[in-house]
Amino acid sequence: MPSTAPRRSDPSSVEALRTPGPDRPGDAVPALSARGLSKEFGVVLAVDGIDLELQAGDFLTIFGPNGAGKTSLLSLLAGRLKPTRGHVWVRGQPLRPGETVWRSRIGILSHQSFLYADLTVEENLRFFGRLFGLRDLDERVPRRLEQVGLLDRADFRVRQLSHGLRQRAALSRALLHDPELVLLDEPYTGLDPHAASVLRGVLSSLKDGRRTVVMVTHNLTQGLELASRVAIQVRGRFGWEGCRDDVDLDTFERFYHGVVENGAA
Amino acid sequence: MTYLGQVYAILWKDLLLELRTRERVAAMGAFAVLAGILFNFSIDQTAVRPQDIAAGLIWMTLVFGGLLGVGRTFHLEAQDGAFQGVLTSPTPKDAVFLGKTAANFVLLYVVALLVVAVFALFFGLRLGTHPGMVALALALGSLGFVALGTLFSAVSSNTHMGETLLPILVFPLLVPMVIYGVSATARLLADRPIAEVAGNLRMLGAFAVLAVAVGAVLFRYVVEE
Repeated sequence: MPSTAPRRSDPSSVEALRTPGPDRPGDAVPALSARGLSKEFGVVLAVDGIDLELQAGDFLTIFGPNGAGKTSLLSLLAGRLKPTRGHVWVRGQPLRPGETVWRSRIGILSHQSFLYADLTVEENLRFFGRLFGLRDLDERVPRRLEQVGLLDRADFRVRQLSHGLRQRAALSRALLHDPELVLLDEPYTGLDPHAASVLRGVLSSLKDGRRTVVMVTHNLTQGLELASRVAIQVRGRFGWEGCRDDVDLDTFERFYHGVVENGAA
Repeated sequence: MTYLGQVYAILWKDLLLELRTRERVAAMGAFAVLAGILFNFSIDQTAVRPQDIAAGLIWMTLVFGGLLGVGRTFHLEAQDGAFQGVLTSPTPKDAVFLGKTAANFVLLYVVALLVVAVFALFFGLRLGTHPGMVALALALGSLGFVALGTLFSAVSSNTHMGETLLPILVFPLLVPMVIYGVSATARLLADRPIAEVAGNLRMLGAFAVLAVAVGAVLFRYVVEE
């Protein structure tokens, strides 16, 4: 339990997270794995040798202070950034930045909506659906909008939506192509309690056992609610990682600050 | 089909956005009309025959006016990370480039026709006996221009200098287009035989094809992080 052990989690869970490898004998092929993942921006080491391995159904929440490299890590996992060192595998196949084939398997929700403000919500979804080569947009788009509670605002321009509604529209875009890997970058930022509750409901529906979700957030409570695995990133590397069941919600905040201070020292 | 569908999706989206915002066509169109008015007052038509200098004025108006619109190709894309959404889709970068170039071509060609109409209005310009060939020359020149403009607009949008950098990057590369475009248009307006123009049109076509091909290949290196 982290409150008594401000260090890496118990050996078994550490082993599961730190010795990834798509070719590890006897294991199912991980949905997502990374080994020695590093990213440098000039002299800044944003991501520093991160190893992880996630199976289908895992929901990993990554906490960390500003500048810890969380968004850079997500961009590496999404293939949006080329790692300086290390590799990422999706279902055992190496993910190469620039290759488009993986992108149909990955859904990304950022603190930016990735939507065109002067198109309607439906026009945005149809546009991105065409980019993903989806053919059943007449059925798929209304279904996704209904899932996020935006069916009655399908004809609203994104510019007309509040931040919370815009975030829901962004989520429907991220999930439109039914991705098996979902990457969420601070999805709760700027949401009021009700909007956060709606978003939480949609995110919980992602825990269907066949998807892998990686979420980055500052909010400890919201981050732990849905997580099956937890990591704390400090200065580019995981200062602690473990299973959600290892975490005591009451003492996690104190533990988190301890890990951050130790990592920053 | 998917590739063409992706190109079409980008084209459709850009034209729909322009229809909603009208920010680029309005800027280019206003520039074309104002340039026509200013040229009308700045040239002594008793000393210079408008027919003799119209080709150069048309192409210069098109280049300067076009830059106003093409330079803002990625302006709306930057809002709320919309272009990141495109880049995280499985759409090949060259399909993105071709879609955006096609949309820019449609917009610029509309402006090119407006420029010709403005000069016809203010200078009493006649299009000669081959107006279709004038339209073809403008189309080929516009295609080469928007291909380079789209590519370098992506470059300049990633820099601190932004749109001010675009003319510095693009103008030197437009010299062949201007030479052959002005030459072809001037001869067509002077009712010279088609055989005298064919070589210029072929060079304009080659310039357009080369610009599109180079842009499609290089675009991914410009937009990828």
